Amino acid sequence: MIKLIDLSKSYNKKVEALKNISLHIKPGEFVSIVGQSGSGKSTLVKLIIAEEKPDNGKIIIGGWDIIGIKDREIPTLRRQLGVIFQDFKLLPKKTVFENVAFAMETCGFKSSEIAKTVLQIVSLVGLKGKEDRYPNQLSGGEQQRVAIARSLVHKPKLLVADEPTGNLDSINTREIIDLLKKINNMGTTIVLVTHNKDVVNSLHGRVITLDNGQVISDQSQGRYLL
Amino acid sequence: MINHREGIYYKIMINLFRIFKFALQGFFRNFWLSVVTITMMLMAVLSVTLLMSMDYIKETTIESVERQIDILVEIKPNANREDIENFVLEIDDLEEVDQVVIITPEKNREIFLKNNTGEKVKEVLSVYNEDENPFSYSLNIKAYKFSQYDNIINFVNQEKYSNLVEASDLDTHEIIGKINSIANFLNKYSWYITGIFLLISIVVIFNTIRISIYTRRDEIMIMKLVGAGNSFVRLPFVLESVFYALAAVLIVIAISYPLVNFIQPSLNNYFQGDQVIDLVGYFRNNFVGIFVYQFVILAFLNMISTTLAIKRYLQV
Repeated sequence: MIKLIDLSKSYNKKVEALKNISLHIKPGEFVSIVGQSGSGKSTLVKLIIAEEKPDNGKIIIGGWDIIGIKDREIPTLRRQLGVIFQDFKLLPKKTVFENVAFAMETCGFKSSEIAKTVLQIVSLVGLKGKEDRYPNQLSGGEQQRVAIARSLVHKPKLLVADEPTGNLDSINTREIIDLLKKINNMGTTIVLVTHNKDVVNSLHGRVITLDNGQVISDQSQGRYLL
Repeated sequence: MINHREGIYYKIMINLFRIFKFALQGFFRNFWLSVVTITMMLMAVLSVTLLMSMDYIKETTIESVERQIDILVEIKPNANREDIENFVLEIDDLEEVDQVVIITPEKNREIFLKNNTGEKVKEVLSVYNEDENPFSYSLNIKAYKFSQYDNIINFVNQEKYSNLVEASDLDTHEIIGKINSIANFLNKYSWYITGIFLLISIVVIFNTIRISIYTRRDEIMIMKLVGAGNSFVRLPFVLESVFYALAAVLIVIAISYPLVNFIQPSLNNYFQGDQVIDLVGYFRNNFVGIFVYQFVILAFLNMISTTLAIKRYLQV
């Protein structure tokens, strides 16, 4: 699903955020990428969603080498991925329904198809009946569910979750992780970037540990090392 | 092939519909931001409209003053009617002259008495008998253009007519020169003032749009991260800026017509006589020139400003 080969990224040619990282994430995997602040986790996510470009190396997503990706091809790449963020990144002046529908509208889906799919996905994330609410009328956990629904609505093969529980309490964190597991069981590859030790340890899955821009550990049944 | 083409048309139509929908949503759901943006544009449109009205009043006033100017040539008392008529024919032949009217001594006396009702004037005239008239013939000359009076005065003041022409027109000459220079001054500086107003308006509009887009920069970046293409993000904002222009111009229209109707009677009272400043008529007859052009220019400025302002936030 994702191949990273000798990936390096530095800022201002002084700060090396990632140093020669090589990884291979297979389809259907649930991978946790952990590390302390400044270890390079967020930079890795930015490179995967083409928000930034690496200095060296290759990023292959679903067979597509995105290193030489043109600006006009970036939306096409992002429509094939699902991304959720710590701060939810919901459109504040759109309702739950509209936020989720927006991802499909950008792809040019028919309105009837959008209406049907959005209602299904909103129901899947447990927000049925709250379709007409605006983000500021929802709790943090509910807002993150909306973000998950939006990232899934166009049925991506890969979901990248960048600190999705960073702004949530323990109950909401548990619910969001359970939801991600459910999504993974349905066949979606999940890359979870986090520094939440309890979350990582509870998953009993593959854990890749980053430190100072390098992979220091990659365990198939790993635990939080740092 | 046809199905593929129909599919493309459908996609274009549905995208246009969505762009329009997002623009409307953005306009109404960011209500206070829209109100602030429209208010700033309203000020700009109102200033330009006011400036156009002032320009109309200035033009009309100058025109009216120019229209009221004519030359009165006093004829010597001993001149006979035939010489005067020949003189009139020669003046009338000048290409600058629109009209020459002979005013008889009787008519001159009548005009004088009408304009001078004081007791002292009556006392002076009482020196003369009923059948005596101290007034002589005079000629009233009107030119086509205000600037042509100089030539006419020079023609009348020629040596060969010195046995006919009594009064020197030096005063009129001076007045005409002054009016001419005032008109030129007003025309010249009204262009500078208009230019400064327009420049201020453009700067205000550009910065208002920039602030409006800056306020919504996160929204733009989120749309990009979710997979929207540049045009799909940009066009609703561009269209929304056209709505701002439309709202601002509609509000100015709603304000202007009642205001002009309210002001018109005061203008009528202030500028009495031949001078007509028909501000209501000006607004009625120049709707396209005042408002439609302003809307088109404002909408165009907004579109350009939005496109430039949004550019940096699309680089996500």
